[in-house]
Amino acid sequence: MSPAAALPYNTLVVAAAVAAVGFAAGVVGCFGVLRRRALVGDAASHATLAGVVSAFLLTGRRDLPTLLAGAFVAALAGLAALVAIRRFTRTRDDAATAIVLGVSFGLGIALLSGLSARGVAGAGGLEQFLMGHTAALTSADAIALAGVSAAAVLVVWLALKEATLVAFDPAFAAACGWPVPLLDYALVALVAVMVVVGLPAAGAVLVTALVVIPPVAARQWTDRVAPMLLLAGTLGLVAALGGVAASALVPRLPTGPTIVLAAAALFAVSFFFAPERGWLARRRMLRDVARRIAAGTLTPDEDHADG
Amino acid sequence: MSAVGAPALELHDVTVAYGRRPVLWNVDLTVTAPGLFGIIGPNGAGKSTLLKAALGLVPLAGGSVRLFGRPLAAVRERIGYVPQRETVDWDFPVSVMDVVLMGTYARLGWFRRPGVAERETARAALERVGLADLAGRQIGRLSGGQQQRVFLARALAQAADLYFLDEPMAGVDVRSQERIFGVLDDLRRQGRLVIVVHHDLRTAADWFDGVALVDMRLVAAGPTATVLTPENLRRTYAGHLDVLDELGRAVQRGGRTS
Amino acid sequence: MDEFTGMHAWAIASAAIVSAGCALVGALLVVRRMSLLGDAISHAVLPGIVLAVLAGGRPGGPLVLGGAVAAALATVLLVQALRREGGLTEDAGTGVVFTTLFAFGVVLVTAAASRIDLDPSCILYGVLELVPFDTVAVWGREVPRAFVTGAVVLAVVACGLAATWKEQVFTAFDFEGARAAGVPVAAVTTGLLAATALVTVASFEAAGAILVVAMLVVPAATAELLVRRMGMLVFVAMVLGVAAAGLGYLAAWRFDTSAAGMIAVVLGVQYAVAAIVAPDDGLLARLASRAALAWRVGCEDALALLWRIEEAGPGAPRPAGSWLARATLPWLAVRGRVVLDAGRWRLTPRGQAEAETVVRSHRLWESWLGRHVDLPLDHLHPPAEWIEHHLGADVRRRIEAEVGPRESDPHGRSIPPEP
Repeated sequence: MSPAAALPYNTLVVAAAVAAVGFAAGVVGCFGVLRRRALVGDAASHATLAGVVSAFLLTGRRDLPTLLAGAFVAALAGLAALVAIRRFTRTRDDAATAIVLGVSFGLGIALLSGLSARGVAGAGGLEQFLMGHTAALTSADAIALAGVSAAAVLVVWLALKEATLVAFDPAFAAACGWPVPLLDYALVALVAVMVVVGLPAAGAVLVTALVVIPPVAARQWTDRVAPMLLLAGTLGLVAALGGVAASALVPRLPTGPTIVLAAAALFAVSFFFAPERGWLARRRMLRDVARRIAAGTLTPDEDHADG
Repeated sequence: MSAVGAPALELHDVTVAYGRRPVLWNVDLTVTAPGLFGIIGPNGAGKSTLLKAALGLVPLAGGSVRLFGRPLAAVRERIGYVPQRETVDWDFPVSVMDVVLMGTYARLGWFRRPGVAERETARAALERVGLADLAGRQIGRLSGGQQQRVFLARALAQAADLYFLDEPMAGVDVRSQERIFGVLDDLRRQGRLVIVVHHDLRTAADWFDGVALVDMRLVAAGPTATVLTPENLRRTYAGHLDVLDELGRAVQRGGRTS
Repeated sequence: MDEFTGMHAWAIASAAIVSAGCALVGALLVVRRMSLLGDAISHAVLPGIVLAVLAGGRPGGPLVLGGAVAAALATVLLVQALRREGGLTEDAGTGVVFTTLFAFGVVLVTAAASRIDLDPSCILYGVLELVPFDTVAVWGREVPRAFVTGAVVLAVVACGLAATWKEQVFTAFDFEGARAAGVPVAAVTTGLLAATALVTVASFEAAGAILVVAMLVVPAATAELLVRRMGMLVFVAMVLGVAAAGLGYLAAWRFDTSAAGMIAVVLGVQYAVAAIVAPDDGLLARLASRAALAWRVGCEDALALLWRIEEAGPGAPRPAGSWLARATLPWLAVRGRVVLDAGRWRLTPRGQAEAETVVRSHRLWESWLGRHVDLPLDHLHPPAEWIEHHLGADVRRRIEAEVGPRESDPHGRSIPPEP
């Protein structure tokens, strides 16, 4: 196959992988958002930088699976540090997240900067993990990312009722005999997986947006969990693809920020135009109610009458 | 299968500590089925804690719990639970039917989805509490009484022999309270034991066969008429037990009281 | 001082001064559980800074500082608006707003790269090493601009917070109470957020956006592990911040790496060390106090056991006691509480008095339980075994006064008098 023909294939595969990652991140992120723990992924994501650089330092290899494996270990270490702080100190949760986030990122920067200063060959490529850079992805890497994303979605789909139950009413779940701490850790680990898988596309600093913004946007459109998951996945997919495409137009622009802005645009649309929960819909309803009060045609709500 | 003649609930010298500070001291309580049993006492005095200790939701600092003569883990499918309403996120995107179906999850086990049989159970439970026509509504769009009845329906869907309810009448209008009590009464007549943490003394005297008076420790327990005496009520409600407070702090410190 | 050392000194001084400012503001943020909002603001000021620079502002100048404050306030207002109008929770709204604003800032920087000299990576972690080279003339001397900005911001923030200190602390510890007492909590919060924005911008060149978070939160969190009073907390946080700035810079010089990164690492090490060695709360302190308690319980059990053996008289069966109680006997002998007499341990008069205290506590508690708690007779011993080590003289007297001047416990055994 001539190089010219190979190029579009690679681009297509990378695009498909980015779409899969965006979809899976949106789906997995729903539970973090529903549990009101949207920013736990932030602590994991900032720790990944140190993991990526350490993996390179320890193995001398720069292939994606090695680097992401290091990122995953670091993400889990960051989450473990969070648990340890909660368990052994008086420090509150929000401060603990900020501590893990800031210190682990500082470690990552120190390692990265040290490598650059020594002129270590190949260290320059690691900078891309800060803000995302999909151009360097090979087809094999892309397929691997897509595979992990698909697996994550499958896990969520399989354990949908368990995840929903634990997110909604952990006390009841525990009383029924479900292993709530285990399920909690599993959900958080899934977020860590998605954060790591999203690193090439969005970078360590902004990848949390992929697991936070699409679920929040999807919530505006629906009152049921399964449609919310599907919609969050779709919005994540569109944002990821759109962001990568937009950043391709401006060569210097990293992919992370453009993906986030695409997701934010989708959120803005959801915020204003969603039926019932959207801003315009609420304004319309309030005007409607005011009009009916003025006209004297508003009747009490029937089914609240019997409590 | 329980040990022959074993009481439905047995708490033996149960002590519960938050952090390292004991909040519930040395509770010894036996309750048999069938019946409607109330746990009464001042606010913040350990009533909910007692319930959670029975359900294994808080770790025990001492003592043991037996349900139908066996440890909790062995009889979970015979237990139903209605937690306090304020612990729930009412903005969560689930409908009334979704919530009631959750009562059937434990029987389904891992990864299986609720099917026709489970939906039938849920529908029947909703009928019993009078919410069948609101099955599709998101739970945030219900009144207080309706929300409480959804959780009761969920517990009914668990098809249990022993039910624990934590303040089911709190913030609920009188008509809903009567309706809820009707359902609990039905359960009692079907041979079940229903244990209720309750805040209202007046209705307690009317509704419950037996009560336990709790104020950081068990003051008295037994048939309602014998236990709800002025003397026992005084010991429970009037006069705070400073001794237990100071001791609790001393134990937490690892030292002695003054 | 040669030029080389002078530059290092200025770099450290600049880092120290912005670190002090961050620690000061961070103390209030941490106590008010606004750490993540501080994180959000440190990201969200980026577009404010870039727009101000594009509009002609000098880096570190008033326009840029104003732009940062505006961005910070916009962040908070946006999060609140999202909650009010869209039902978003606090954490979700924060996550949406700060990532969006930061992404917007990065896009602006990249798009306007021809007009601004800001490397996107440097935004993330600053270039402390270059700070000494960008100087302004102050009173005839060449001083790094970042230092001047840092000093001005520290002065402004310190004065502002000092002037409103009582209100800030009240609001931090008890928001509802402060509001009920008439404290203008909205203004107090706005002031705190403005201060956050200012110290963030001042730290940008030294540390960049992400590491500002570490300088804001970690010193205060470490101080919280060590001291309890607010005034001390702020002081300790600032000392820790300044120390970390100096140590971090030197470590970065030694290892030839990013100063901001090393400062964050040093801050993390400070926190970890404090978590381990803090008196009262640290890991070591807790282990030590648990061990001390176990030893005390063992000693008291040994004394009480010997007393009960003597009470039961010769010929009665002798219970063995726990291994821990037996292990304490040599120590008790050294302390003069017991003596070894013909192969058997005996209580000395001092030991006797202490043993009686323990047995008295035990039997008084059984009486109290019998009176107040619905427990059968044979259930009284285990709780009393536990509580006998925690009853003090005053509470014993109160229990005795309450259960009446009795001389025997529910089992009919006599209660020793107070020694």
